Amino acid sequence: MFDIKFGSREKRCDGVGRRNFLRVGSLAGLSLASVLQMEAKAKSNKARAKSVILVYLGGGLTHHDSFDLKPDAPEEIRGKYKPIETVVPGLRIGELLPNMAKVMDKIALVRSGAHNNDHHETATNWVMSGRFGTAFGDFPAIGAVVAHETGLAGSIPPYVAVPKNPSFTWELGKSAYLGGRFESFKAGDPNDASYKVQDLSPSEQLSIARVERRGTLRQAVDQLAGKLDNAEQVKTFGEFQQRAAELVLSSKARSAFSIDRESEKLRDRYGRNTFGQSCLLARRLVEHEVRFVTVNYGGWDHHAKIFESCDKKLPEFDKGLSALIEDLHLRGLMDNTLLAVFGEFGRSAKINKDAGRDHWGQAASLLFAGAGVKPGLVLGATDKLGSFVTRRPVSPADVAYTILDSLGIDPRKQLLSPDGRPIEILDLGETVRELYA
Amino acid sequence: MKQKNTLICWVSGLIAFLFSGNSYCSAETVPSFLHEVMPLLTRYGCNQGACHGKGAGQNGFKLSLRGYAPELDHTWITKEFLSRRVDSAVPEESLLLRKAMGEIPHEGGRLFSKNSKPHQVLVQWLKSGMPGPLKNEPKLIGLKIIPNNMLLSLGQKQQLQVIGTFADKKDSPILKEVDVTWLTKFAVADSAQMKLDANGLLEAVRPGETAAQAFFEDQVAVATFTTPYKAPIALTAYPKANNNIDDAVFRKLSALGIPASAVCSDEIFIRRLYLDASGSLPQPQEVRLFLADKNLNKRRIFIDQVLEKLEFVDYWTLQFADIFQNRKERDHDVRGTKGVRSFHAWLHDQVRNNRPWNELCKDILVSTGTTAENPAIGYFIVTVGEQREAHKSEVVASVAQSFLGTRIGCAQCHNHPLEKYTQDDYFRFSGFFSRMRFDRKDPKEGVTTLFADLNKEDQKKPLGVNQPRTGEFLSPLPIDRSPIVTNKDTDPRLALAAWMTDPNNESFYGAFVNRLWKHYMGTGLVEPVDDLRSSNPPSNKELWAFLKNEFITKKCDIKHLTRLILNSQVYQLESGTISGNETDTRFYSHYYPRRLGAEVMLDAVSTATGVAEVFSGYPEGIRAIQVPDPGLRSYFLSVFGRSERVTACACERSGEVSLPQLLHLQNGKWITDKLSNTNGTLKKLLLDKRSDKEKIDELFLLTLSRMPNPTENKTIADLLNKAESKEEFYQDTFWALLNTVEFSFNH
Repeated sequence: MFDIKFGSREKRCDGVGRRNFLRVGSLAGLSLASVLQMEAKAKSNKARAKSVILVYLGGGLTHHDSFDLKPDAPEEIRGKYKPIETVVPGLRIGELLPNMAKVMDKIALVRSGAHNNDHHETATNWVMSGRFGTAFGDFPAIGAVVAHETGLAGSIPPYVAVPKNPSFTWELGKSAYLGGRFESFKAGDPNDASYKVQDLSPSEQLSIARVERRGTLRQAVDQLAGKLDNAEQVKTFGEFQQRAAELVLSSKARSAFSIDRESEKLRDRYGRNTFGQSCLLARRLVEHEVRFVTVNYGGWDHHAKIFESCDKKLPEFDKGLSALIEDLHLRGLMDNTLLAVFGEFGRSAKINKDAGRDHWGQAASLLFAGAGVKPGLVLGATDKLGSFVTRRPVSPADVAYTILDSLGIDPRKQLLSPDGRPIEILDLGETVRELYA
Repeated sequence: MKQKNTLICWVSGLIAFLFSGNSYCSAETVPSFLHEVMPLLTRYGCNQGACHGKGAGQNGFKLSLRGYAPELDHTWITKEFLSRRVDSAVPEESLLLRKAMGEIPHEGGRLFSKNSKPHQVLVQWLKSGMPGPLKNEPKLIGLKIIPNNMLLSLGQKQQLQVIGTFADKKDSPILKEVDVTWLTKFAVADSAQMKLDANGLLEAVRPGETAAQAFFEDQVAVATFTTPYKAPIALTAYPKANNNIDDAVFRKLSALGIPASAVCSDEIFIRRLYLDASGSLPQPQEVRLFLADKNLNKRRIFIDQVLEKLEFVDYWTLQFADIFQNRKERDHDVRGTKGVRSFHAWLHDQVRNNRPWNELCKDILVSTGTTAENPAIGYFIVTVGEQREAHKSEVVASVAQSFLGTRIGCAQCHNHPLEKYTQDDYFRFSGFFSRMRFDRKDPKEGVTTLFADLNKEDQKKPLGVNQPRTGEFLSPLPIDRSPIVTNKDTDPRLALAAWMTDPNNESFYGAFVNRLWKHYMGTGLVEPVDDLRSSNPPSNKELWAFLKNEFITKKCDIKHLTRLILNSQVYQLESGTISGNETDTRFYSHYYPRRLGAEVMLDAVSTATGVAEVFSGYPEGIRAIQVPDPGLRSYFLSVFGRSERVTACACERSGEVSLPQLLHLQNGKWITDKLSNTNGTLKKLLLDKRSDKEKIDELFLLTLSRMPNPTENKTIADLLNKAESKEEFYQDTFWALLNTVEFSFNH
């Protein structure tokens, strides 16, 4: 196939071509009629999920060393980890994921995430929004769309990022044309010893009378606000002024973020690190009806010494994520919470001269669970080197479509840009039907 | 003009007939791949980013994005997969045609019908053996839209006509004009305002002004269309003009039928002036002096005074440091904080001396030497970074954006989507940086040096770079393709700087004027402020021309231009809207209120409360607008959107309003601390012997730069009477003042 490198910043590679797809399609026994049927089904918008937790693996998880091992490939491809058996008969994953091996019967593994972009910023904005655009983020992240569609009712923001949004050199997964009102609310690092959401708990003890007096005084001296409310920023300022006041006073909001109310034992089970505690906080937020939580877990960009890094990082990932899955189950939250786990791409098959793996948009492993997702499912596959998808490619648009559809939001709905231009949430994609038996 | 001929002859090959003498219009003429087939692929969207033009193509069929690589497209169309897309035996049955006509499933749908113009041209091309790009084809050298600069009433429709000018070969004096409307791709800058269909039929759907854009091959033509809001308003209905700025703005508003808000009060003016020009609140004493001043020219006098303040220098140094991306590198930094500070100090000197913009830019552009002797090389340290070959680094796109307000970054990989810039233009421009060489050293081990020449061996090589896609060797050329001469023995940046600062260089001077205007007026004449291109024209051409000429003829005197803006009535209009100008955001019918920038806001709270912010590593009392390095850790500055200066994009500085900002203002511990600090304004005020009324006046002046009005006085006095603790009451009042829209916004 075809591969051009322009400059040093961006690589573009060809995806699964029409020829390959036809071959794959006939092998899989798909006919056009069945594809069309699936399309028709995908139009149904019955909500299955109330909330979504997205565990975002920024930098790009190495699929060869986690969920898509190639033990029969040459050494420079298969890497150092051995496969281990899981609770799902016939499914084997990497040896550093023993806890995940025990919960694979509760989740679906998709080994065929694929697109064609190898640039962190561009690909991150793509997978987080479901639409291809520039590196600077032309389209709102799925979470921002969810916030926009479900509204800002209630005191807790509907879209929360723990600890914050992904970023490499600049912040990614933003609300784009939807504007600042639908930006994620940043929860901060719940692993901090004295974790508190910035400015959420009252900074001084104020009597109700004083809180009211402050409000009265502010209103009395801020008559200008009313005169300027044709200005979008002034309007937003006023709205957030109200919401901030409610948030500080809301016991529900305080409770949602009070990770110290969890038992020491459970906190240990999740892992005493930023990722583990972020997963735990995500569960609390979902319990408090936050609609979309991003657990941002970066640091997977292993261009060098990948095994030294993964020796430390995979166990942390294994512990935190398996704890979250178990915990969601135990509490019955899995029925209406969709868990999605992915990064912007997978990593290249061949181990490079620095003992690392490079960016690779052509293949990645993704996980889904809850809200009707078929547990124990393994969907899609890559070739024997783990380089290209050979079965059921799943695109960023498909993933975003699946998530939105699961929440009952029509992914083809047209939203308005600030200048009044209608823009479809997603222009491509369809629900990954196989995830739902 | 040859439109009529063209209309008759399109079937038989538009361009072929142009220069082929007698044979034109004969059925044998072969359509041109470059001038007809390729434009059709663009016109019908086949090669756009969402379809076959994206990196991987669409369903196995790939085309170059908007046709930047005709030779590749030709191969993909005619040869790939055993030529399955074309049927030379029965051209009408070619997959290429059947897909486009929707005869077989095509995700892109049906694009044209049988026997339509495009169908016939493609059939003719297929029948003629599918020739690719030819060497000696006529060349497109110009493009225009007819009509241009036209008024359209609401609902009125207008068919656009696009005329291409062709030369039979390069630099030929023989020119022909051809109607290429049917081969043109149309777009409109503001689609909410005008609808423009694929055939070039324009319809005005909302009042305002916007640009229709026509894309044909590598040229873009633009035409402006205006739809008045209401019937024109007499010029006499506007405030009396103070200078040419007012003339230009009020003329525009009058033609559009948008009324202007009234001229603002003195209280509002003084606060606005100080915040915009010096990034600082006026002191209560300054407000009192100004309000008491009976001189009719007092606004002009105070403008002059503010421009001489140290804060003006500090604040504009901050603006320049954003433009020139002065920051510490995250990895392998070779300047250290010291280097960042020395470039900052250098910029501070330039602002203090009101250094002409062209000279300042030239100094940076051609800088060489060590960080110690020439801090300006810091610009290249940051933008070239660790890239050994400077012309392959971000410096190319950064210089274009920072100095020329022009975004060419996309042309590195494909032709610019909205402008004539091609990949060749990008790489030719990059050649200006191909002679730069760094000797980078860790600051602990030595000093980093920038050389403008290569080592002796490399210096013998011809000057230029290889275009990576075509392999062609390209010598340096500015992005407007002005023919300038470079010499392999001298630093090509000298030629670049000379071209850039030439008085005829619209983008260099326009870019700065636009930034300056946006700074004071809230919205650039061109938006985004650093995205100047012919397809994105200024919202007021008369004003644009005036400001630019004024800047050039007055030797790039930044203060002079600033004075002109600040003294205009337009700058001094109220921010509240009146009936008829509520929706205007582009023509300056009122002052556009905006949230204070991160540094300005933090300083405003600090000066009002009398408690300086502590910045670690900096001397006590340093203000946020004076801090050189954006890497300084500060929750406030981050959450209120300071620029990290990672890219050349002005968009890095954010004026957005967010929920965490409001939480921080209402409930942040920092604000509680500032209010209760023993050395702060409030504690001192409480010990003061002045009356409550005077104290309240003082708090208003410190925060809102005005006196309280009678209603406010009454509410406050009533609440004060009921208050159990005076201290708590004052705290609450101060908190309330700091939490108003009036405080957080410049208005």
